[in-house]
Amino acid sequence: MTQDLAGGDPVTELKERARTEGTVSASVPSSSVAVAGPGDIRPGARETGAGESAERELAARVPAATAGTGGRLGAVGWLRWGWRQLTSMRTALVLLFLLALASIPGSVLPQTGIDPAAVSQYYASHPGLAPVLARLSLFDVFGAPWFAAIYLLLFTSLAGCVVPRAFRMARSVRQPPPSAPRRLGRLPQAASFGTAADPEPALESAARLLARKRFRLRTGDGWVSAEKGYLHEVGNLLFHLALLGLLGSVALGGLFGYKANRLLVAGQGFANTPTALDVFRPGRLVSPADLQPFSVRLERFTASYITSGVQRGQPSWFSAAIQYSASYGGPEHSYDLRVNHPLIVDGVQVFLIGHGYAPVFKVTDRTGRVVFDQPVPFIPIEQSGLTSAGVIKVPDASPEQLGFAGVFLPTAVDVSGRLASAFPAALFPRVSLVSYAGNLGLDSGQAQSVYSLDTSAMHRLAVPPVPLAPGQSITLPNGLGKLTFTGYQQWISLAITYDPGQTPALISALAALAGLILSFLVRRRRMFVRAYPGHDGRTVVEVAGLTRSDAAGGFETEFAELASEIVHVLDGSAVVAGQPATTSRSAGDGLPAPAGDGRPAPAGDRRPAVEQLAAERSAAEQPAAEQSAAEQPLGAGQPAADEAALAQAEGE
Amino acid sequence: MTRLKRSARQAAAARVIRAVLVGSAMLAATSCSGGALAQYTPVSSGKSFVGGSYSSTYYRPGSRPAAPALTGALLTGQQFSLTADRGSVVVLNFWASWCAPCRREAPALAALARYFQRNPVRFVGIDSRDTVPSAEAFQRTFGVGYPSLNDPNDEIALAFRGTLPPPAIPSTLLIDSTGHVAAMIVGGVSYSGLKALIVKVLGGRS
Amino acid sequence: MPVNSGVAQASNALLVLTIVVYALAMLAYAGDFAFGKRKTPAPVPARLPELVGAGAPAGFDADAGHTFPADPSDLSELADLSGRAADPAGAAGPSAGAAGLPALPGLPALPDRRSRWPASAWLRYAFLLTCAGLAAQAGAILTRGLAEHRVPWGNMFEFIAAITCVAVLMLTVAAVRFRAYYMGLFVLLPVVLALAVDVVVIYTPAGEVVPALQSYWLAIHVTGMLVSIGMFIFGAVVTVLFLLVARHERRVAAGLESRSAGIMVQLPGSSVLDRLSYRAILFAFPAWTFAVIAGAIWADHAWGRYWGWDPKETWSFITWLVYAAFLHARATAGWRGRRAAYIQLTGFACLIFNLVGVNLWISGLHSYAGLG
Repeated sequence: MTQDLAGGDPVTELKERARTEGTVSASVPSSSVAVAGPGDIRPGARETGAGESAERELAARVPAATAGTGGRLGAVGWLRWGWRQLTSMRTALVLLFLLALASIPGSVLPQTGIDPAAVSQYYASHPGLAPVLARLSLFDVFGAPWFAAIYLLLFTSLAGCVVPRAFRMARSVRQPPPSAPRRLGRLPQAASFGTAADPEPALESAARLLARKRFRLRTGDGWVSAEKGYLHEVGNLLFHLALLGLLGSVALGGLFGYKANRLLVAGQGFANTPTALDVFRPGRLVSPADLQPFSVRLERFTASYITSGVQRGQPSWFSAAIQYSASYGGPEHSYDLRVNHPLIVDGVQVFLIGHGYAPVFKVTDRTGRVVFDQPVPFIPIEQSGLTSAGVIKVPDASPEQLGFAGVFLPTAVDVSGRLASAFPAALFPRVSLVSYAGNLGLDSGQAQSVYSLDTSAMHRLAVPPVPLAPGQSITLPNGLGKLTFTGYQQWISLAITYDPGQTPALISALAALAGLILSFLVRRRRMFVRAYPGHDGRTVVEVAGLTRSDAAGGFETEFAELASEIVHVLDGSAVVAGQPATTSRSAGDGLPAPAGDGRPAPAGDRRPAVEQLAAERSAAEQPAAEQSAAEQPLGAGQPAADEAALAQAEGE
Repeated sequence: MTRLKRSARQAAAARVIRAVLVGSAMLAATSCSGGALAQYTPVSSGKSFVGGSYSSTYYRPGSRPAAPALTGALLTGQQFSLTADRGSVVVLNFWASWCAPCRREAPALAALARYFQRNPVRFVGIDSRDTVPSAEAFQRTFGVGYPSLNDPNDEIALAFRGTLPPPAIPSTLLIDSTGHVAAMIVGGVSYSGLKALIVKVLGGRS
Repeated sequence: MPVNSGVAQASNALLVLTIVVYALAMLAYAGDFAFGKRKTPAPVPARLPELVGAGAPAGFDADAGHTFPADPSDLSELADLSGRAADPAGAAGPSAGAAGLPALPGLPALPDRRSRWPASAWLRYAFLLTCAGLAAQAGAILTRGLAEHRVPWGNMFEFIAAITCVAVLMLTVAAVRFRAYYMGLFVLLPVVLALAVDVVVIYTPAGEVVPALQSYWLAIHVTGMLVSIGMFIFGAVVTVLFLLVARHERRVAAGLESRSAGIMVQLPGSSVLDRLSYRAILFAFPAWTFAVIAGAIWADHAWGRYWGWDPKETWSFITWLVYAAFLHARATAGWRGRRAAYIQLTGFACLIFNLVGVNLWISGLHSYAGLG
């Protein structure tokens, strides 16, 4: 965010030229530091406000100047201009809104990464619209290129603004505060009073007082300048840089991290290899050898449900007793895996995210051999009774492949002819299956979900889907075989995540929070004190204060306190007499002319001196035109001699 | 004043255009999807298997990774050790009875095992996430004559982690007579393709 | 542990009492607007420049924002005392205009502790009722927590009860600290409506939470959310008032008739309201940031990822972005004042959608935390 306007568009180019020529304008020293934060004005934005009077003049001169330069910008000029546009506050505003807007479809439409089943459902219910949305990446908004473009642009804008400011901040911390402006009365907070002390000792006392308040001081001939509150900018920069750090952490996780899911039936185990995972989403730079070689075995899963009251059937707690080892052949440890209580092994986190029932089936085919004997995970289709649906595929039954589809009911009850489950615990387990024989479609090599049965090449067998109790069996017609429901197990589903960017992300987030709070709490402010001999032999002391980013207020109070303390230290009283009252005081304000001593404050008033002081005005020296200019953000339209300091004073 | 207004409007318009241009540039950069491993992620929920992507990698002699010293129990109960087969070419096939591409390639593998049975080529299967009854039924269905190791807890897959872990099933590793991995095929094999590869490794040609 | 039904019933009763007391407070605030006598100090014109002069030489411009207006505490007191709008432009006008010079900058009047309490009797009763209602509401929440043996924010009913409590708490703090008593009616109105809907429609009996919510993170994350949402509510109400007062001021400045002048002149100037709402956001935004971070830490602990673009997470992010845009707008010329106010209200709309819409219409991992 440099102040260098050379190479900008023609108008600003001429503005710069006019400034250096010394006409009425605000020239901004190139070494000034932009102090900006949530409540601040950034220099880019300030140009339009501060330079307005200058611009009006320049507008008239543009034709002549354009003729001279040819009115063209080179490629570099355009790039620089473009860069300045990108890093301006307005672009940041627009991009923030765009990012918010772009996130909306990601929350309203089903997303593939979160709920693939819902996406398929959307395809089914909106057959025409869904492919169009898919082309626009609206089912994967947060991985979409256009979404990435928005936040990358935003972060580029952020980095392009913040990094140079960080350097400028480092430099300005080492610089002393600016010199005090000549006319302190024109600053927003100003006061003056008289004192018997000499100017030099008065200034010294004031300086000592300010130094005690941890202001950084700079003294000059007849003035003291003090500055405080650098932490505001530090906090601001910390916040924005921490956001960059957050982005880096997310990228780190996206490149080197992975997420996986695995369903485990009680008694089963698995090792963390790609072939063992149900769902595997690796980062870009992850290879199979990078997977941490831990293994987990599920011993037993227990769930407890609320048995009475309004919340009957709601789960009370879950617990999965697992055994794990961190490496191949390493020692085994046991662990109680629960929700909100993950397993952390070798930097990888393993979470318990779901559970269900897996009824065990044994199938014998016509030859009498057992061709299938294992638990089959059934997926819950409703939560209150955990009714679960599943599919059994027996591809190696002879002579025909067999398939079964049905439901498992943990506590089966008959509700007016329909089977339902009344309670999620397996108090009265029943399974009801429909039987098929034919071609499962597996041999063609076409991928299939293990939870769905493709019956297009199968014929339904004439066996009624009677509910089976554990131990009961279905005998298939034509001697095709027999299925026995031997019992049930429980299964858990695990989420396995490895994210090397996790800890950096946390640190960045906390740093951002700290920076935010710091920049909100601290104000950068300047105090100026001038002392000079007055007309009546007393010393006139002027105190003025200035702050940026104080849209929330509060500096007036602080200034009042500081000013009253200075008055107290210097034993000051009201403004000296002898000032040209008519020119320095406007006729209609109704204030009694403060001639002579100030009135002592009424007893009992906490801050007497403050109320009684009036400011000195050297307004007579100000032309009226400059008056209106003074109403604008400080720094505009002021004589060159003063305005450098004032501009520095307010421009940072 | 109009000049200033126009330049402000131009500035806004140019900013939008710039954003679009930069955005499209970003588009190209960010649209690459997934690394080498992502193509193996399963297409649908369920157990992991190859969703149609196939790759075959051949390693020249001298740059072949060493195969791990694999041991385990076969489905028949016998003990198996990979190092015991030094001197033969070993075709290690990772499969499962519920895996559709594995079922598709099974006849080719069974036929090739019969074809090479008088050559120093040994076929061994590694059965993942399967139970013994299902595995045996599979072998009966396809006439698989060669033995398989049962790996219900993925220990064998873990053993390969240091050398050449199989990214999905089906995968087939060809191990040469010195115990080094000569080739890895990810995805279902074809009769002719695997035959040519075995011949190449047998012949010792590079 | 089973729920203590007696204490739970006491909690319900206290909540109904809260609504009644807040309604009475609203009546009292309205009565203050209608009948409250304004004390006139002597001499009012003499004091004005001194009090308001510690600020920008010229007046404010609601659209462009302001430079350095006076301390709002003084202006609100002024509204109290003089019975007319404490308009810095109006006050400083004569002195500025007469000689073409800016008003004399004096040192601002530091608020006298004695004058923090409202002068009007109506306001005193209204504020007392507000505090009583707040105590009843706090009691309702506390007893609910005792009945359930857990922190009482596990579903939408408890959540709304808590955020309205925070909003009223913010009102009382602003009233005492910034003399913003005039906000009473406008803050209590949505609070009473929300509580009524909460009790009648959204009511959920006291009970346990599902295992996923059984974590100490519930206290941290959801408490952070409550506090920030309550503050955002307060800020939104002030902003709406700001827009109305600014509109009134524009009409007055243009010489048009303003129908709401009766109540508008009893409110402080738009710049005061602007600053008050900005202050509210200055508190609420870091609190929201903290709550989102705490939620991310908890999500990582429970679900394995600290950010999964779950609808509730996405809308929290959108809300955060819009309020961040608001803060940036405050620092951009041409975007302060009314435009920034609109941005803030947009952020608040996103917040309400996050609270209500996402729970009701979009299902995700967060949905168990909504309507039971």
